[in-house]
Amino acid sequence: MAAAAPGSGAAREEEGTGGDAATPQPPAPTSAPGARLSRLPLARVKALVKADPDVTLAGQEAIFILARAAELFVETIAKDAYCCAQQGKRKTLQRRDLDNAIEAVDEFAFLEGTLD
Amino acid sequence: AERPEDLNLPNAVITRIIKEALPDGVNISKEARSAISRAASVFVLYATSCANNFAMKGKRKTLNASDVLSAMEEMEFQRFVTPLKEALEAYRREQKGKKEASEQKKKDKDKKTDSEEQDKSRDEDNDEDEERLEEEEQNEEEEVDN
Repeated sequence: MAAAAPGSGAAREEEGTGGDAATPQPPAPTSAPGARLSRLPLARVKALVKADPDVTLAGQEAIFILARAAELFVETIAKDAYCCAQQGKRKTLQRRDLDNAIEAVDEFAFLEGTLD
Repeated sequence: AERPEDLNLPNAVITRIIKEALPDGVNISKEARSAISRAASVFVLYATSCANNFAMKGKRKTLNASDVLSAMEEMEFQRFVTPLKEALEAYRREQKGKKEASEQKKKDKDKKTDSEEQDKSRDEDNDEDEERLEEEEQNEEEEVDN
């Protein structure tokens, strides 16, 4: 009766891949916890967390919150960059708008030099 | 550590999030798109590192949701804290709802079998579902092998 719950096999497989960050991620199964509440795939976020050598364990809630935070961050930086584009009376967001936003907004200081 | 370039977030999703945040008719150049995507990866790495410091200060091995919320404050993204707490509540409700739905399903089936004593195979399916759920709960604190 292994076919009782479609998708559960894939979810379990994903949970089992210990530290193998190089494994290509299967498309996030919709049955994964929080999958419908996050637009960014939790598996990718987990891979980023795993990349930190100081992290030993991470709870699923922490992964989920990080994914949601990344979404909010993308919205925020896009809006700030759009303000810069508007000042230049442009309707297309350019790379320099982003650079300007990073320079103008204190919270984005950690990005300086990481996007080159 | 690895370079953020090796740890990209899916471009299609990033683009959708950007588009939904901006007014209609705004275009995003390819360079701006990939820069925002990379910035999001750097953001997650930075937030992870900050959050992990809070976990270590608390002498906990497991990074949890409150560590991430503390990290947001430290990173001066205080305005994220309220929406993130709401998202966390929704997440917990979903988890709880799943558990209750599965328990309710079992109860319903028990009632049925009480009255009719039928369909053994479906009953077995049900047991399997519950087993899986317990397994997922055990996985909540997951080893990340570093």
